[in-house]
Amino acid sequence: MENPLSLLHFYLRNKRKVLPVIGILALAILGVVVTDSLLASARETAYATFGSYQKLILVAPRATRDQDLANPLQDSLTRLHEVQLQVDALDGPGGISSYYNAVVALPAQVRAQLPAVQQLQVDAANARYYAARLRGDLVPLGDLIIRVQRLQSEQKAFEELVRTLTQNPNDPRPLITYLQQHQTWLQSILPDAAQLGRLQSAVTNASSDAGGLQQSLQAMSRDTANVNAAGRSVADIPIPPSPSATIDGFKAGLDRLTASLESIQSAQPGLDKLVADSARIPGTAFVKRDAYSNLDINLLAGNAQFDLYGLDQPGMAQLLSLYDDRIIAGRLPKADANEIAISEEIARSRHVWVGGQVGNAIDELDRLPDTFTVVGIIGGPTRLGVIPLDYMTQHYLFERRYQGLVVVPQPGHEQAVHDQVQSLIGDSAFRMFDWSYIKGKIDSLIANLDTINHFLILLVTIVLALVVGLLNNLFFRQRMNEFGLLAAVGYSRWGLILRVAWESLGVTIAAWVLGVGLGVAVLSWFNMSFMLPHGLLMNIFDWNVLALHTLPIPLMVFLFGMGTVAWQLLRLDPISIIERRD
Amino acid sequence: MLCAKDLALEYRTGGSVAHAVDTVSLSVEQGSFVGLIGPSGSGKSSLMYLLSGLKRPTRGAVAFEGRDYGDISTPGLIRLRRQRFGFVFQQHFLINYLSTLENVMVGAVKRNHEAVAYAQELLRRVGLGDKLRQRPYQLSIGQRQRVAVARALVHRPAVVFADEPTASLDQGTGRDVVNLLADYRRRDGGSVVVVTHDPAMLTGADRVLQMRDGRLSPA
Repeated sequence: MENPLSLLHFYLRNKRKVLPVIGILALAILGVVVTDSLLASARETAYATFGSYQKLILVAPRATRDQDLANPLQDSLTRLHEVQLQVDALDGPGGISSYYNAVVALPAQVRAQLPAVQQLQVDAANARYYAARLRGDLVPLGDLIIRVQRLQSEQKAFEELVRTLTQNPNDPRPLITYLQQHQTWLQSILPDAAQLGRLQSAVTNASSDAGGLQQSLQAMSRDTANVNAAGRSVADIPIPPSPSATIDGFKAGLDRLTASLESIQSAQPGLDKLVADSARIPGTAFVKRDAYSNLDINLLAGNAQFDLYGLDQPGMAQLLSLYDDRIIAGRLPKADANEIAISEEIARSRHVWVGGQVGNAIDELDRLPDTFTVVGIIGGPTRLGVIPLDYMTQHYLFERRYQGLVVVPQPGHEQAVHDQVQSLIGDSAFRMFDWSYIKGKIDSLIANLDTINHFLILLVTIVLALVVGLLNNLFFRQRMNEFGLLAAVGYSRWGLILRVAWESLGVTIAAWVLGVGLGVAVLSWFNMSFMLPHGLLMNIFDWNVLALHTLPIPLMVFLFGMGTVAWQLLRLDPISIIERRD
Repeated sequence: MLCAKDLALEYRTGGSVAHAVDTVSLSVEQGSFVGLIGPSGSGKSSLMYLLSGLKRPTRGAVAFEGRDYGDISTPGLIRLRRQRFGFVFQQHFLINYLSTLENVMVGAVKRNHEAVAYAQELLRRVGLGDKLRQRPYQLSIGQRQRVAVARALVHRPAVVFADEPTASLDQGTGRDVVNLLADYRRRDGGSVVVVTHDPAMLTGADRVLQMRDGRLSPA
């Protein structure tokens, strides 16, 4: 016969008391395993998502689109109004039309004596024509600028809505109000590709018509000079007063508008120099211009923007080679095409594959204009997304302004190159994004969740220690007679304490094994059914989580529960028990 | 075999001293059946605790087989109780989650086949040979106390101390329990010390001693 006081006997004969304790502990450990693993997964997925920064430095314009476009747009609008006034002036009293009318009204005698007047009339007619065209050109340009400004204010209203909803997620009223007030209007002002095309066309037409007007005005100046020179020999010829002052004012206004529009379309000042200087930094592997954009993806801890690199064709190949990544399906995007290649995890996260589409038209949170077709899936250790630089800069008016560059240091030169790039940037309108910055941001985001998680684990540990300690005490009191008898008949006190310790240890170890086992099972299922299909990372057998983060619970429960019972066993007086007459 | 000399046990409560046992000398020979009777509070249980090493005396000495308890460490005394003494108390103190046979085996020093066979034999002797697998809550109070007697005897102790073993039993059942102890003395040659307030239970005793106010006198 086995020892009747063996642990096996104890567990088998006290199943009703032991199993609930094991169950409670196991469920708590399961909770810790799952929450901890999800948190670790969020961190690992975030690291992986932004892992490309481990080998490159992104230099981007410092200003955001909001900050940077507001002034040029307002400035362009002001200039546009100036030009419209000048066009009106050209057409008004003392303007081209008056001048043309005056030239047309010259007597036939004068025309016969001065053939140059005929040419003046032709050129004045041309000027009047171009001025009228220019006025027409300016209408869509002004309209689009106003739309963009309204869109910016709409974006601010949207951000305010998000902030309100974040503060009180259960109250849908702000969302409903917003949708009611803004939906139709928002759709009406969203700049689409056609509008952007019209803007570009309007600028081109305006520029062309302005050129025609300028040429006509210059011809008129020459004609007027010729007429004036010839007229000195002809008495009483009523030559109209020259509109040159009005024309000069118009030319100045047109120049200011052109400069303002160019500032919207041109890259940040200093970009070319920064690219050239960065390439000369010792230890730099390569430098590429980058029209960066990003895709909205889910990182478990919240949505994040996955950075896309807008590079030329050689740059795309270089980037993949840098990370030992490769195209596993499809191909790299062609030049000047609205195409994209993305890592398979990102593709899964967005539920797309080769032939799928991403972009602002698909998900409004994508910072990728219009629609891009996925033409390639990238496989390998680092998550990447690449788009053609030229398509971005040539087809989207504002993207030219937001070009940056990627600087890739050679291995071992990361810090030196970082410092040099930092020094090159100085106080200019650029800023750096590197791994330490990105990792800091991720850690900062996760840190709050980490703190909450640690607090919860502590809370669970304390509550469980108290609950199980209390249960232990109740159980111990029920077994007081047993311990009193054993102490009286010659079982040593420390032997009894050791026995209780083994009993408690067995329960906590069983609970730990069960909890961790359940945790692994739940995580495996969750990984297969949710994480992998969404491109999220999860290390199911993360021993740091499975062991280190879960052990404090059984350990504390064991120590607390055991400590209280051991304390009572040490103070146990067997005689007081055997003399009890109850 | 078991010899007590000038034993005293005092309790100090506040400024006064209570003499639970007052200068008692006693010897228990091998194979003898000694009965201690007396009213409640007379000190008979205290004397038994001193004799069995459950308590240390305030004065005086107890020796078992020539070894003075004063010369034995606390762990040594615990071992002595475990290996050489058997105990029966007023309550059975059976462990609820163990069977009858397992409860008896709690008292065994060695847990081999011979010990199990002897435990079964003891249970047969106390009339519970057919209830080896029963749990305490399935037995009557008298049956439980007989299991407690078997537990006290399973390791063949040199001395069995029984403290009011019949107090919670009816007269007939109580007599059966005492007879079991007497039977053990007769069969196995062990000594038996029975503390009771009922003189009728000690008809088979070699000696019956009376305790009154902590002092001992022949009954």
